[in-house]
Order: sequence, then structure tokens, then C-alpha cells
Amino acid sequence: MVNILESYAYNNGLKNINPQIKILFAFITLIVSLIAVSPVVPLIIAFFIFLLLFFEAKIPISVYLKFMSIPLLFGVFNIIFMTLFFGISEPWVNLGFLNLIAYKDGFNLGLLVFSRMIGCVSCMAFLILTTPVSELLFLAESFKVPKIVTEISLLMYRYIFVFLEEARTMYHAQETRCGYSGIKKSLKSLGLLISNLFIRSWTRGDAIYLSMQSRGYNGSIKVFHTNNKLGFKPILMILFFESLLLLGVYLTREFQLI
Amino acid sequence: MITGSDSMEIINADNISYSYPDGTQALKNVNFSVETGEIVALLGPNGAGKSTLFLHFNGILRPESGKIKVNSQPIVYDKKGLMEVRKKVGIVFQNPDDQLFAPTVGEDVAFGPMNMGLELQEVEKRVKEALEKVDMVGYEKKPPHHLSGGQKKRVAIAGILAMNPEIMVLDEPTSGLDPKGASLILQLLYKLNEEGITIIISTHDVDLVPLYADRIYIISEGKIIKKGTPRNVFADINTIRGANLRLPRIAHLIEILQKEDNVPFEKPYPLTIGEARKRVLEHLDDKK
Repeated sequence: MVNILESYAYNNGLKNINPQIKILFAFITLIVSLIAVSPVVPLIIAFFIFLLLFFEAKIPISVYLKFMSIPLLFGVFNIIFMTLFFGISEPWVNLGFLNLIAYKDGFNLGLLVFSRMIGCVSCMAFLILTTPVSELLFLAESFKVPKIVTEISLLMYRYIFVFLEEARTMYHAQETRCGYSGIKKSLKSLGLLISNLFIRSWTRGDAIYLSMQSRGYNGSIKVFHTNNKLGFKPILMILFFESLLLLGVYLTREFQLI
Repeated sequence: MITGSDSMEIINADNISYSYPDGTQALKNVNFSVETGEIVALLGPNGAGKSTLFLHFNGILRPESGKIKVNSQPIVYDKKGLMEVRKKVGIVFQNPDDQLFAPTVGEDVAFGPMNMGLELQEVEKRVKEALEKVDMVGYEKKPPHHLSGGQKKRVAIAGILAMNPEIMVLDEPTSGLDPKGASLILQLLYKLNEEGITIIISTHDVDLVPLYADRIYIISEGKIIKKGTPRNVFADINTIRGANLRLPRIAHLIEILQKEDNVPFEKPYPLTIGEARKRVLEHLDDKK
């Protein structure tokens, strides 16, 4: 899964858009989605981002649905839970067992939380599926995130994939010799795999340090970045879009489904 | 390209010894020198000390005794001196995953030039040129784990090329690659050598060595046990086999034909397919 999402970040219809624009868009929209007081605007945002990902970024619908399925499921449970337990005043339906009563205000609150959640997750999905992690780290650095944090994340990010591959190989090697037949053996094999991986990451760290020294590393990674200029037009477009959303938030402030 | 004059020596290891922290002696009084413009191969079995020797060439390891000279200047082991020697001598490591650490190809190739403190424009230019040389243009924004083994290797080479080294040292550049990938790397090294970069390669692929190496060193158990042109070195079959190496397949075939089947091939045996073809054709002509 990680691998698939990751490869879309590098290969999608929006890959040539300036990453800063995408990050700006995702974060402002996320905030708008959070401050909305009715479910309308966050749901519009979710739908808009879905269209954007599907038609512009060309992310297959199945991948997107898979990505959204967990927050959606969680959101639905949340609606049910809040309808039953978060209401205060207006009883809606008496379910007739276990003394459970559905409340109108509880449902409205649940729906609002659900829609905010879907709106925000959509914004994050947009970011994850269209923007490589390296760009995010670079931006984090310009927002004065300590260099040690971004440097370690940069190295971790790269070597997650190397170790994933090595763990897979080791796992197969263990399976070949029946390492996972039975619970006791599984635990033992898993323990061996993890400790081996730890030792490998240690020696790998040494090797990387040598190779970095060979290229003149002296304590800090200077990231090279070809910076495309932030255009004036896209910023205006984003601002216009977000003001529309804010207007929507204002106009639908009283809206309630039931 | 082989000349005898000392002034042409670009790198010289003079009688160096080195032990690992656990006390095992890895290098014993090694003498190793390379002249400007050469391609030199260091042949040796696993664990013979090839990688350890290479790490001395840019000052990562410091010999316990003996001296390393680059351009006739002994390496100075302080911050400035080490930076200088690392600009001149670039090492390409055996496992490209040990070398490519940045999230994208472009950032990785830029790592060396950035450390050299170059202007951004110059860095950009060098990254572009280096990727052009290894034929990996268009991959700047790709993460290394989306590349094949051969592509990773070429990016690792680009990362060194971008520092404009005079000498490029490659540890097992063809290991783990498919035949096509290996041959692309060798062609690339040949091209770089023609453009003036001195190249040192460690390997145990004896079939490929005679195709490109001007000179060969054989290292075994931390000692240089033989040096010379491919023809000279491979003529000494006993030393070769004693060091857990073998003749190139083609030379082995000719040896068997001569010894077992009494086909009158004379020593030295041909080392490449081209030479062998010529010899076989000559032999057939003689018979007619």
C-alpha cells in the first residue's frame, strides 16, 4: 500500500504543478474545512478534491476509494455513536431496545464531525497522492523546522524502502525454511527478523556514513533544490477559491439536515 | 598510455599497512600506483582487502604506516586537506543503496557539489552534465527506490562525476548487475576514461578485466602479489589460481585445447574473444 501511494506521488497528472502551490492549497482548504460550522462546505471540498484527483491527477478511483475507506468507515461509526450518545435535547427515534434513543442534535453534530473529517482527510489525500515527501521536507525546512528533524526524516524516508525490501527478503528466506509454522515458531522467527534488521540498519548506517564522507559530508546535509518560481496567478486562484468556500461557510452556517 | 616516468603518477600508495580495530591485519606493506589516464584493475577474492585499500585513497582510512600521495602530494588529514583529496578522488561504492541516500536522484547527485560549497547555478549545471554523461536525464525527480540496479549504479556514478574528480575509484562496479547493465557500466567507464578521468576498479570478474584494464594488480590476504599488464599477469597461471581467481574462460578453453587435445596454441593464451578468434583462424590457416 505504502509503495503504491508513494509511486502516485511521483507519477500523477499534477506532478508538474509547483509543489508549494499544492501544499498551500491543501493546508488552507484543510483549515476552511475545520472551521466550517455546517456539513455542506466540507462535503463540497471532499467532492471537489475527488474530482481534482480523478480528472486532473488521474488517480484510479479504486486507489482513492481504498485510501478513503478507513476514514469513511470510522466517520460512519462516529455518526451512529454521536446520534445515540451525544444528544441532549431533541429525541428523534426510540430504537426500542436497550433503551437507546437517537437524538436529532446528536445526529447533526455527528454529521458535522463526519463531514469535517472527510474534508480534512481529502485535503491530506490530495497532498499525499500528488506531492513527493522530499518537497514537503524542503518546505518544512523553510518554515524553520529544525534541520536535525528534516535531515533525519529525509534519511528515514529513503531507507524505509530499502529496509522494507530487506525485511521482505528475510521473511521469504524464513518462510522457505518453515519459520512461520505455528505460533511459537512465528514469534521466534519474527524476533530473529527484527533483531537482524536492527543489526543490518546499524552496519548500513556505517556504510552510508563512509559514502557520505567520500562526497565531502561535514555534519549537515545541504539540500539542493531546483526552485520553480511561485506564480502570482495560482496564488490568486487559490485565494479566490478559498474565499468562495468561506462565503459558503458563512451562508450555510444555519444549515442542518434534520 | 603506460609510461615509466614518475611525474605521471596520479596516485601512489607507498608501503601502507592497516589493521582493523579488532587487530586483524587487512593490508600488509601495500605498494600501489596509478598513472594519469590509466584504467587499473585491482583483482582479488572476497575479503582480500580491496575495499579497505580503496578507502585509503580519499583519506577515509588512515594507514598505520606508509603514505598515500595524490598528485605527488601526501594526503593531509585535516578538514581542509580531506576536502581537497575528496574532490580529486571519488569513490563509487559497491552497493548503490549505501550511497544514494537522498529522496530524489537530483538531490543525491547534487550532494557532493553542495558540500564543495559551489554556487547553486554551478551545482545545477553539474547535476545536469553528470546525469547526461550517465544517460539518466529525466530521472531528477525520481526516488532511488523506483530505479533498477543498473540505473542506481549509474546515478551513484553521476553523484561522483558531479564533483569533477580526477580519479574515480569503483568498488565492484558490475556486481549484481545483469549482463546488459554490466556492459553499459563498462562502456560508460571507458568513455569517461577517454574524457581524461583516471579509473581504478576492483573486481573479481576476470572475464571482463582484460577488455578494459591497462594494468592489473592482484591482491590476496592484504598483500599485492602480482602486478603488470593483463597479458603478463594472466600468464602466471599459478599465482592467479593461488589467489582463488581463475583465467578468463576463453583463456581456459585455449589452455585445455592445448594441454588435453594437443592443439598447438602457444603461450601467452588469448584473454579476449577477439584475440582468441584471431589465433583460432591463424591455426586453421596453418592447417590448410
